[in-house]
Amino acid sequence: MKILKKNQIEEALNRMADQAEVFVPLQRETQTGFYPWKSYDNTTDTLVLDELNVSLPPKQVVFPQTDKMYSFKQNGVEIDIDKIYEAIEPQVVFGIRACDLQGIACLDLVFLTKGYEDNFYKARRDNLTIVAQACYKPGKACFCSSMGVDPVHPQADVIISDLGDEGYAWEDKTEKGQALTEKIANLLEEKEAKLPEPQDFTLKVEYDGVAEKLKEMFEHPIWEQLSEPCQTCGICTYLCPTCHCFDIQVKTWGDEGYRFRCYDSCMYEEYTREAGGGNPRGKVSERFRNRFLHKLEFFQERYGTPLCTGCGRCIIACPTGISIIKLIEKVKEADTGA
Amino acid sequence: MPNCNCEKPLVPCTVEVIDIVDETPDIKSFYVKNENGVPFDIKPGQCAMVSHIPVGEGMFSCTWQEENEYLQFAIKRTGLLTDELHTIEVGQKLGVRGPYGNGFPVDECKGQDMLFIAGGIGLAPLRSFIKYCFKHREDYGKIQILYGSRSSADLCFKEELFDLWPKIKDTEVFVTIDNAEEGWDGHVGFVPSYLEEINPNPAGKIAVTCGPPIMIKFVIKALEKMGYSDEQVITTLEMRMKCGIGKCGRCNIGSEFICLDGPVFNLAQLKKLPPEW
Amino acid sequence: MKAIENKIKEIAARLLQSGEVNIFLAWEKGDYEYQSKPYFARSVDEVDKIVFDQYCIHNLSNSLLKFRDSSDKIGLVVKGCDSRGIVRLLQDNQIERSRLYIVGVACPGMKDPLLAMKNNSGLFKPETEPEVAAKCQTCRYPNPVIYDELLGDEQTPRPQDTRYAQVDAIEQMTADERYKFFEDTLSKCIRCYACRQACVACNCRLCIFDEMRPQWVGRETSLSDNMMYHLVRASHMAGRCIECGECERVCPVNIPLMLINRKLIKDVDKFFGPYDAGIKYEEGSKPPLSLYQENDPDNFI
Repeated sequence: MKILKKNQIEEALNRMADQAEVFVPLQRETQTGFYPWKSYDNTTDTLVLDELNVSLPPKQVVFPQTDKMYSFKQNGVEIDIDKIYEAIEPQVVFGIRACDLQGIACLDLVFLTKGYEDNFYKARRDNLTIVAQACYKPGKACFCSSMGVDPVHPQADVIISDLGDEGYAWEDKTEKGQALTEKIANLLEEKEAKLPEPQDFTLKVEYDGVAEKLKEMFEHPIWEQLSEPCQTCGICTYLCPTCHCFDIQVKTWGDEGYRFRCYDSCMYEEYTREAGGGNPRGKVSERFRNRFLHKLEFFQERYGTPLCTGCGRCIIACPTGISIIKLIEKVKEADTGA
Repeated sequence: MPNCNCEKPLVPCTVEVIDIVDETPDIKSFYVKNENGVPFDIKPGQCAMVSHIPVGEGMFSCTWQEENEYLQFAIKRTGLLTDELHTIEVGQKLGVRGPYGNGFPVDECKGQDMLFIAGGIGLAPLRSFIKYCFKHREDYGKIQILYGSRSSADLCFKEELFDLWPKIKDTEVFVTIDNAEEGWDGHVGFVPSYLEEINPNPAGKIAVTCGPPIMIKFVIKALEKMGYSDEQVITTLEMRMKCGIGKCGRCNIGSEFICLDGPVFNLAQLKKLPPEW
Repeated sequence: MKAIENKIKEIAARLLQSGEVNIFLAWEKGDYEYQSKPYFARSVDEVDKIVFDQYCIHNLSNSLLKFRDSSDKIGLVVKGCDSRGIVRLLQDNQIERSRLYIVGVACPGMKDPLLAMKNNSGLFKPETEPEVAAKCQTCRYPNPVIYDELLGDEQTPRPQDTRYAQVDAIEQMTADERYKFFEDTLSKCIRCYACRQACVACNCRLCIFDEMRPQWVGRETSLSDNMMYHLVRASHMAGRCIECGECERVCPVNIPLMLINRKLIKDVDKFFGPYDAGIKYEEGSKPPLSLYQENDPDNFI
């Protein structure tokens, strides 16, 4: 197999960054996320390919927090949409894990299927090459295998596997992947090596049958109980690799401006508040219920796969310790009287 | 006529406002077209995102498409966007994108008697179906229209309600207002109770209703009591919307999006969804 | 701490049994030994799960906002900083004193379960867990300022020499250096609004950042919108912030929110003080910026 030595990683990234924006997992001061390799600053940043994952999910590569859509100019009664912002620059995401990659697969289902293709998402997605890192050692809060994700065989253009001192095994799977391989061909060594043994998960949950059971539980008292500590802070929705609810807003100065979309959260009170004042989900328990049903039931019904990929970030970051695993377990135990 | 901007579904095309009619103190009808005529064909019950581009967008049901002449939207002044829209003048440009939603089952209802029940601005979406039935009068049976509003000043499309529609063959129009007022000698009472008074026979009939959610819920109860089956009752729903294309996550009832899978649902479909609207 | 835990359980059981309260707010254990989390007990059988250990850092007075419109009678456990949160809510007329039974606990300093979760997550290079959480290290009010019952031995406030250290360091910077510092810091903000939700002083029913008519601050994560958000929120906290540090603790991108808040605390103390927010509840008392006094500083006019 082809091996990329660890001391060649920076050179490989430099070559890829020559013609594309390459996103790599970095620890920047106290925060971890996928940042552009071109912005690497050795006074504040460390490449963390050898860490399990990063805190901020890489969904922003195809679906940024703030996404300018089109700008307009007014001239008396006339209005002109003068520029539509579609990203054309090629991008590479390097070192994404299977859970986050499954997140992007879920976003593909949302933005590219069912009636309309979102052109802004499509432009970024078509121009993206994915180099995924296989996971052999699940973390304490990881449960991707329970949600149908294979951590060792992510569906990517290239799969890299950490072989320790040997370097990374480099396996291209698609034409886009081969294009990358050619870019770094002389950095790769052909060598015999053994892939690591995947270790077992410490955190598992039985998701089978949960979607069907939840269908009977819309009015169940479990939602009032479980949502009680929730502060509707929104952290879970921002760190989740699949959360994609967005708002569309406008910025105007005088005669010109632009419309953009930005992340929104179903946990916020005004999310479904209508202009006339009505709000179908005005209570915390109603929004809480909607979020978890979306993750575990509605998305499964609509697209055939759950909207949770088992990355564990919400479990780690929730200020009041709410856990989707605990929720699934309680759902399984719950008495629906059926 | 192709749909407006299907390749870039979030980007509107621009239209000119060719006429504005005051229907009630807080409802105006906007007639829009572009230089080629209508920006897209829109079926009864479908909606479009209408925007005053520097301010914002809102999903409005198209109350009528007149061939290639214009699209008509009846817009009630309720919040930020609609307040701004009510200051628009004839000749100004707006943005529209669409058409969105599934529309009314106009073909499946052919040969049936039709019962339309509307409250307040809820008449606007139903009007597209009502006028479609009148345009193809021979395809539909008896038509009954029941409409109610807070007061006589709040009744929209008054000319059609009182002068035009009652004169059409085999058509009955019932109008009610919530509270008695001087000069009004028509019916006084809420729409659901007036419906029970009229007691229209369910045989061979399709009931279509729209209005404030609370009215829809009571109307459905009344219809069920009168013996209408779930497939005979159709409604069109509304929720806060942003993208209009089933992606921003907001307007879901269960796993369905009102903007994409609705806004028209029959009672059988609604009963399968969580009661969250 | 075990003794305090047992006493809390005793009190909770007594109050729930007699009906003096119908909800008791405390903590329970999470799934990991370094995770405690807020817990709402509604009956005597539910009291058993209550814990009080070194990971009980959450400010339960913030949870009182969930009940401001109900008629529930609520018992809750508060540490020093949390009790200032209760005074904050009373001064802001968000809840009636008569609905509350306050169990105060003198606090030796807590550890942060979020930091422990992060250290064990594999998502960050592990940081050494300090002896007490960052927010506790300059604690001035470890003993509750309002209570119906007090538990635990009186605690000494921590040394204050580092309280304004970072504020002073920023004040020494040139304008350009200062701007660069905040540019770097605030561009990280993802506008998740967790700081606002975790804050007990943020109790407006319609938050200025949710207002659309007009929209005061845009939703973009541009530098200008982010700066506006933090400046406006900090200004709304001026004279009201109780220094519980929850905002900084929950922030998923580690923005030094207490640095900004402390600058305003220092200024309010200097110009309108001496003043500490939320340390004494007197009927009708108001924070300094909600009250006009003849001798308010006016040399900028």
